[in-house]
Amino acid sequence: MADTMGHSAATATRNTSVALGFCLLAVAPQIFEFIWSIGTVFGWGAGRGPATVLISHATALVAGAPAALLGAIGGETKKASSDVLLALIYSYPLFAVAIVTLFMTIKSAQDYIGGVILMALALFALWASSDLQGMRGFSFGAGTAPRMFGGLLVALSAGIALTGLLNEGPALAHYAWRGPLFVMCAILFFALAIRPLGLVVSAFVSFMIAALGSHETRWLEAAIVGICLTIGCALLFPYVLGLPMPMFPRFLAQ
Amino acid sequence: MELFANLAHGFAVAFSPINLLMCLIGALVGTLVGVLPGIGTIATVAMLLPITFGLPPVGALIMLAGIYYGAQYGGSTTSILVNIPGEATSVVTAIDGHAMAKQGRAGPALAIAAIGSFFAGCVATVLIAVLGAPLTKLALAFGPAEYFSLMVLGLIFAVVLAKGSVLKAIAMIVFGLLLSMVGSDIETGASRMAFNIPELADGLGFATVAMGVFGFAEIIRNLDAGAEMNRDLVQQKITGLMPTRKDLIDSTPPILRGTILGSILGILPGGGAVIASFAAYTLEKKLAKNPSRFGRGAIEGVAAPESANNAAAQTSFIPLLTLGIPPNAVMALMVGAMTIHGIVPGPQVMQKQPDLVWGMIASMWIGNLMLIIINLPLVGIWVRLLRVPYRLMFPSIVIFCAIGIYSVNNAPVDVILAGVFGLVGYWLIKHDFEPAPLLLGMVLGPLMEENLRRALLISRGDWSVFLTRPLSAVLLAIAAFLLVLTVLPVLRAKRDEVFTESEN
Amino acid sequence: MTSIRALAGACAAVVASLCGFVATSEAQTYPTRSITMIVPFAAGGPTDVISRIVTGHMAQTLGQSIIIENVVGAGGTTATTRAARAANDGYTLITGHMGTHAASVPLYPKLAYHPEKDFEPIALLAGTPILILARKDFPPKDLKEFVTYVKANAEKVNAAHAGVGSVSHVSCELLHSILDVKPVGVPFNGTGPAMNALVAGQVDYMCDQIVNAVPQINAGTIKAYAIATPERNPSLPDVPTTAEAGLPTFQAQAWNAMFAPKGTSPAILASLNAAAVKALDDETVKKRLLELGSVIPRPADRTPQALAALVKSEIAKWTPVLKPAS
Repeated sequence: MADTMGHSAATATRNTSVALGFCLLAVAPQIFEFIWSIGTVFGWGAGRGPATVLISHATALVAGAPAALLGAIGGETKKASSDVLLALIYSYPLFAVAIVTLFMTIKSAQDYIGGVILMALALFALWASSDLQGMRGFSFGAGTAPRMFGGLLVALSAGIALTGLLNEGPALAHYAWRGPLFVMCAILFFALAIRPLGLVVSAFVSFMIAALGSHETRWLEAAIVGICLTIGCALLFPYVLGLPMPMFPRFLAQ
Repeated sequence: MELFANLAHGFAVAFSPINLLMCLIGALVGTLVGVLPGIGTIATVAMLLPITFGLPPVGALIMLAGIYYGAQYGGSTTSILVNIPGEATSVVTAIDGHAMAKQGRAGPALAIAAIGSFFAGCVATVLIAVLGAPLTKLALAFGPAEYFSLMVLGLIFAVVLAKGSVLKAIAMIVFGLLLSMVGSDIETGASRMAFNIPELADGLGFATVAMGVFGFAEIIRNLDAGAEMNRDLVQQKITGLMPTRKDLIDSTPPILRGTILGSILGILPGGGAVIASFAAYTLEKKLAKNPSRFGRGAIEGVAAPESANNAAAQTSFIPLLTLGIPPNAVMALMVGAMTIHGIVPGPQVMQKQPDLVWGMIASMWIGNLMLIIINLPLVGIWVRLLRVPYRLMFPSIVIFCAIGIYSVNNAPVDVILAGVFGLVGYWLIKHDFEPAPLLLGMVLGPLMEENLRRALLISRGDWSVFLTRPLSAVLLAIAAFLLVLTVLPVLRAKRDEVFTESEN
Repeated sequence: MTSIRALAGACAAVVASLCGFVATSEAQTYPTRSITMIVPFAAGGPTDVISRIVTGHMAQTLGQSIIIENVVGAGGTTATTRAARAANDGYTLITGHMGTHAASVPLYPKLAYHPEKDFEPIALLAGTPILILARKDFPPKDLKEFVTYVKANAEKVNAAHAGVGSVSHVSCELLHSILDVKPVGVPFNGTGPAMNALVAGQVDYMCDQIVNAVPQINAGTIKAYAIATPERNPSLPDVPTTAEAGLPTFQAQAWNAMFAPKGTSPAILASLNAAAVKALDDETVKKRLLELGSVIPRPADRTPQALAALVKSEIAKWTPVLKPAS
């Protein structure tokens, strides 16, 4: 995979795109909450509205976090808001990593990127457990263990990323999109449909959606197998194993 | 001898036609449940509980017990064939079992799993009958400090079983530990990292994460362009169904060692059975002349953990039968079944309900016999299943997994979470992280944290309890010894050498 | 004239009876399909066993099967939230419990339902007495000694419980608030492991439901100081009540009761209540419940009104005990 010709130019472009990717990763939770918050406009789900999300995260990233950082240096102990903490604990370290990435030669992209993403997960866990109580005397608080393991994982993932910089190793493996996309769609459809539409409809439709994930699929054959499988499941799960689940769409059953 | 009288009585009870039928039904349902991905024994036993209402209590319990150990046989099947461990105990089996299947040796792997399980089941049954009462002391000698040390040892096993980089394996364990922290805190009830999602309030289910990082991730990976070649190869290569003479000779010592380890660890309530399979695998890898074969289709890596988990499944009945205290969730359901019939098990259950106790012990042996008779011919059918074109197989697995996960808690969110973990698993594969240590960390994490905190609460914050209590100190010493063996730089260099060699 | 009057009278009678028929028809035709009973705890636990025993008989009366759906999580509040949001057509019911319908209010500040506002009470099914238990070599010999010992050694003793929000946890909190002590509470994952630790002597005492404890007490592996009910229990005739043993203020029962989502029609509620009451009068059901050590509610306590009053009084009882703890 790794091309030896024009090595420096290739790594240069690679590094910028990797660094850009890390920057995106650094604001991924904020973006996720923003997308999620759009749903509240239509009355789905609960939470803050999109405008509030956008403004509070933007101020936290640009102003709140640096202020809190300076305050901490100045000896102030003011309780920072959750958004500011997210920026401080999660986004800033990843921005720092992204900047560092620009000046590094990545010897093994597999290890380096893997390590950094794992570090992102660990930082996120550190943020998620930041509101929990710590040690109380001799007894552990709710937050002690998550923070301990979160910190440990940050260190370990930094180690992995470092090996990716120091040791030669495999480049980034190729990610396919078709399989993951359709398998995920099938799973999502099943999850959303099982209660309102029942086992029969959701199993068959999910089967067909999943079948889209492979270019080898032959449609007639898949439909026949899908029907047989649906009938098999409809007999096996509710009757043989006695698991209570809706069989047919709710509007038909009533 | 009283023992023989008791056993004769037990066999007389177990050989009554109705109980034989119950045992057979239990074994069949258990096999089915074990084979179907996602559906756990707990869910099935819970669902079948009402059926036992109308049955005589002995028959009902024989059936439920049959489901429990039947699922241990069946669980190895999906691990080997499609790399989806249905239970925590069959995670390790998937490592070498599925590697064997990829080499066209699914038949021998399945057969050895069944044979090992049968042997272990027989030995463990005898053990329950002969030493049940004295062994109870072990279950009582294990306090929070001992459990914590045992869990530390278990995590060290997870490092040892890693194929590649030790650093990555440790990182995966810690990632698993972090995932296990999601949910309610045991001591304060505070919600940790659950983001107000009600389905996360009790944490991530093992089945959910296992289906994701093993099942869905494996499917997604197999759909990658270029993966067809490998798959077709698997389908064409299938060689003999039964293990060769060499396989049998290779597997005999691991089966023996696995049985012993499993029998001992199974008695410990909570986590014993899981650690048993990991411990058995680690032991084999450490004893092997060429440890690099492990993870690449070593038959010992199937024989030892499968024997260990079945032995543990049997001996985990000991606390229930001698103390009346259920050591795990499935046993708690059995206690429920007994209470529905007006039998509340306690320390005197052996004296008060000899029919029940000895009938059940005898039925375990009969059940194991039935299971091997059922499972050996099934090997042929399972292997033939591998010849089904993958384009039809993978949507079917997706559906089975989805239904299975949904059935555990009747929660659609669990299915979505499993999908998310499928993507996580795909990412892990792409960066050469191993999912097995992650799952072990997830299973052992809560046990480790809870017992650490319990031990510190009882000792009022005195950390020395882990060293002053002899059993705990011994376990920690073994753990330290293993750790030193694993991370010694010299050995590590050798490991890396072996690693790169076999990758090419 | 008379004939017309007679005709009108007959018509009126027919209309009246029709009206009556229409009014009762909903209750008479209900249920037309199987009913789902949500049990907020794992199968095999006390709440589950009680639900299964009672609904088994109710299904015969109602002529439709009742499917038990065990939904576990967050001390039963996950299941109760789901039940509160279910359609109020009488086909989704829940077996509520002291934890889900009373103690949850102070324990979970973000509770997504309110036991009084989101549910229609149907009937109280059974009460499970709570015992004060200790390891067999714990020094105090009776409850009086226990009280003085715990007060004197509050820093040293360990109380086990089966997890935050469990019956053993909240009832021990009640005991501690009465004794005005704060000993270390050692949490376990369920009653099984907690009992194991008590039998092994790793912890000193715990409060637990009678079902799990009877065989251990009879075998002498643990000892019981008192039972927190007004009367002694037939399955443990030698264990004194807390009133007899000198701590009359400690009264606690893990009660189980049937609820429907708010707004379920009164006719349906009445027929469910009638079926539940009939089940509680059945000899086999009674025998099975008594074998569990349960207390069967008196006829006066089986009405929806009595259950509503019980929920109200229980919330009032647990709120001051559990508020400072959480």
